[in-house]
Amino acid sequence: MQPVVMRMIKNAIWKDRLAHAYLFEGMRGTGKKETALLLAKSLFCEDPAEGYIPCESCRFCRRINHGNHPDVHVIEPEGASIKKHQIKMLQEEFAKTAMESNRKVYIINHADLMTVNAANSLLKFLEEPDSHTTAILITEQVQQILPTILSRCQVVSFKPLPFEKLVEMLIDAGVNPKKAPLIAKMTNSFDEGMALNEDEWFAQAQKLVVKLYETLKKSPLEALTALQDNWFAHFSERDQHDKGLELLLLLLRDLLYIQLGKKEQVVFLLEEQRLEQLALQSSGLRLANQMASVMEAKRKLHANMNPQLLMEQLVLELQEG
Amino acid sequence: MKFSIQRERLVESVQDVMKAVTSRTTIPILTGIKITAAEQGVTLTGSDSDISIESFIPREEDGDEIVEVVEPGAIVLQAKYLGEIVKKLPTDYVDFEVQNRFQVIIRSGMSEFNLIGQDADEYPLLPQIEEDHVFKIPSDLLKNVIRQTVFAVSTTETRPILTGVNWKIADNELVCVATDSHRLALRKARIEGDAGQTYNIVIPGKSLNELYKTLDDTSDPVEIVITENQILFKAKNWLFFSRLLEGNYPDTSRLIPTDSKTTVVVKTKDLLHSIDRASLLAREHRNHVVRCTTIDERTLEISSISPEVGKVVEELPCESIEGEELKIAFSAKYVMEALKALEGTDIKINFTGAMRPFIIRPIGDESILQLILPVRTY
Repeated sequence: MQPVVMRMIKNAIWKDRLAHAYLFEGMRGTGKKETALLLAKSLFCEDPAEGYIPCESCRFCRRINHGNHPDVHVIEPEGASIKKHQIKMLQEEFAKTAMESNRKVYIINHADLMTVNAANSLLKFLEEPDSHTTAILITEQVQQILPTILSRCQVVSFKPLPFEKLVEMLIDAGVNPKKAPLIAKMTNSFDEGMALNEDEWFAQAQKLVVKLYETLKKSPLEALTALQDNWFAHFSERDQHDKGLELLLLLLRDLLYIQLGKKEQVVFLLEEQRLEQLALQSSGLRLANQMASVMEAKRKLHANMNPQLLMEQLVLELQEG
Repeated sequence: MKFSIQRERLVESVQDVMKAVTSRTTIPILTGIKITAAEQGVTLTGSDSDISIESFIPREEDGDEIVEVVEPGAIVLQAKYLGEIVKKLPTDYVDFEVQNRFQVIIRSGMSEFNLIGQDADEYPLLPQIEEDHVFKIPSDLLKNVIRQTVFAVSTTETRPILTGVNWKIADNELVCVATDSHRLALRKARIEGDAGQTYNIVIPGKSLNELYKTLDDTSDPVEIVITENQILFKAKNWLFFSRLLEGNYPDTSRLIPTDSKTTVVVKTKDLLHSIDRASLLAREHRNHVVRCTTIDERTLEISSISPEVGKVVEELPCESIEGEELKIAFSAKYVMEALKALEGTDIKINFTGAMRPFIIRPIGDESILQLILPVRTY
């Protein structure tokens, strides 16, 4: 996992050239938080193998794993964002000496979700680093981090697993080869992929998405009622909607591939027959426009739009095509 | 772990360490109290990571057996449940027993509690005490030293270092300084210990307030040990740990003026009450500003004006006023807090001009000093 990152951390510890702040950046499921905790454990472990591999069994490693180490602070978003008072608490904490040793580590997960106030408070804090303090910021969206914060951190990019490699791993682990590519498109984490494979909800969601698109094609007027009947009963949470839209996007992408004759790229393998039918009824330009609509809908979903209105608007837009 | 203990002593100890436990902590293990049973007795530990309190219950005291340890060991139990449970147990003796993993049975009379504990290894490590660098100070003196300085610490976090009290130890003299950059409190005290040791540390004001509540009004000595990260206060049956503030405390010695242009000697109580009355009208306006003018060699005029409310003027007879005439304005709140912290019936105030800080000292006592910055109004 993450050979480049691991080598970098190893060298930093061996040569005692640890930066005061790191920004771990990469797609969901690339192991950023695990690596951050691993780094913390390397720094605190009593007896690390080869000087940097934590033993995972001493009381320091165990306490970091359980969130009980008093000098390792992990900040997670409180609700939808990281608030200023959380950063303030961190600052108060760091005005004091460490509890046990001289070293202190703080990890901010989803650093892109910091409110502007919080980010600015943190900035002042990052600017005056203490030699024994290590900051690790974690984000999936590096472009949303304030440039002033970015410039004070060493950015470490986490590469996603190559798509083919993940598909291979999933198939080796017993996932149906017809399902594996779709799952690999939905997540980059092997564990999460295995969970999706077992997930009844996800299997049902795929069917609903194909059905919605079919209804749109066959009888556009019924699409809105179909939305009420099936869609909203199944997709209730915001992240479920997000997954639904992602599936719809993949579906449109598949149709485009079929039209272009690149069938090996298709991921909806279970529904391939139906997709080929549908592909005949659409044009490339139209599909491209529809994909743009879905992407716009995803953006609006993250901007807290009411999911019901959002889906209705999307369906109307897709009808026009 | 298995032991049996007098309930009364346990309740007392649990209440002592509960002072350090808070429910709003990000570290799950700190919601618990650590119980350690050893040959010599039972130790309870509570902590919110800023301060930690350890309470020790000896095996026997004055020939009275308090604890009977059958099997030594350690466990962490949820503080809020433990506190309530021991308070309400029916008989005078309580049995504790840790069964496989972290199951704890608390038995007293016919009642039996089964609590799920946590691994004691997960609890933060407290610094080990080195007996060689110990300072000693009587408990009541330490209480006074804290009371007379800690009120002056800054309450805003803009300069975190000022939220603490600076302790300097050199040649067996302890010098405590607290300031929020508008006023400063300084207190000196003699302590016993190794004369060669020098320290310069900053202790968080919050920790000192907690310590103040824990200390007794007796002249029993309290031992002080300073380690790299923490300061430790040790009394007969408890230990109080506090983390320190990181950074360098500003050099305050140059701030204290040595010359004096006007010197006023006045009864502490008279001045305090007079300013208190004058501040009644100034309470909501302009930071409690009260003015002070010298009238003649034995009279001060204390006044306050709030345009929307009204004004108050009071003449205050003094013991003596020497030096130049003076008109000065200051924050009533700061002066009152400083006066309350001072001991002695008479005080001497040294002014060095309307725009310069002034010093309040009790007469004949050089160990304490309060410095206040005036307010610009004229």
